[in-house]
Amino acid sequence: MSKRDPKDSMNSQATLSVSDDSIAQMLCDDSRVEQAVRLIMKKYGEQLYWHIRRMVVAHDDAQDVLQETMINVYKYRSTYSNEFPLSSWIYKIATNESLKLLKSKSVGMVSVDDLGDALKETVRDEAGPDADETLVLLQEAIALLPTKQKMVFNLRYYDEKSYEEIHQIVGDSVNTLKTNYHYAVEKIKNYITEHQL
Amino acid sequence: MKEFDLDSLSREMPYKMPEHFMDEMTERVISQISRERKRHSEHRLYAWFAGAASVAAVAVLLLHPFGGSLNVPDYDSISQCASIDEVFQNMSSDELGLYSMMTNYYGD
Repeated sequence: MSKRDPKDSMNSQATLSVSDDSIAQMLCDDSRVEQAVRLIMKKYGEQLYWHIRRMVVAHDDAQDVLQETMINVYKYRSTYSNEFPLSSWIYKIATNESLKLLKSKSVGMVSVDDLGDALKETVRDEAGPDADETLVLLQEAIALLPTKQKMVFNLRYYDEKSYEEIHQIVGDSVNTLKTNYHYAVEKIKNYITEHQL
Repeated sequence: MKEFDLDSLSREMPYKMPEHFMDEMTERVISQISRERKRHSEHRLYAWFAGAASVAAVAVLLLHPFGGSLNVPDYDSISQCASIDEVFQNMSSDELGLYSMMTNYYGD
């Protein structure tokens, strides 16, 4: 394994310490917009990738959705208001783009929720034979959840977002989000309990 | 049956992200944004030229309606010409004689 240059580590630390307000200001400045996009990728790129991948499951789809998300961040940067944190705004775009992709795959079905079985199969394919079985079961259970419950569960359980932040991203009231999370947890527990050896 | 404890699980994913994926994705996004910016600035330039050309065309029409410098006949001065009858009335008898001789020779 190659050793990392200490300068890289310092650069990464410096990137993470750049405030969202500064990045938002750079986004509105045409001469610094590319720098702002690089900072967003450095600061939130991985989180966004995993948020998207948990929704769409396949890496190739996550790649397309992440790229589209960042292009939309660039295109619609003038619509961002600092009423919400920059990260919530970007997560909202990523969530909408993920839903758009799922909708495009659910043509001919009654709703996006009908994709559950197909997504569950993709979980197995993407995980590979060496993956931890419990982790795979957890992803299968998530894949089978209705879309709203899936979004809320992922944002709360993996991204550790507060209900207020999830409200900024998804738009439902905090009470509705709490109910969705509760149902999601119950369904996941039941699925894993039933399928675990 | 013992209920599964979700909090006992690690937050890991059973999938992997390909190596160097984030760096490659960043470059891909930046190059697409550069293309978008170039296209946008070209579009703005075309829009500017189109606007300037329209303004110039309107200005020419306002300043020189129907092309003032073209050789268009002056109908007002034509209307001021004497009628044929007036011309004959003002002819002398010699001129009239010469006219009748020419019309007889060349025909009407």
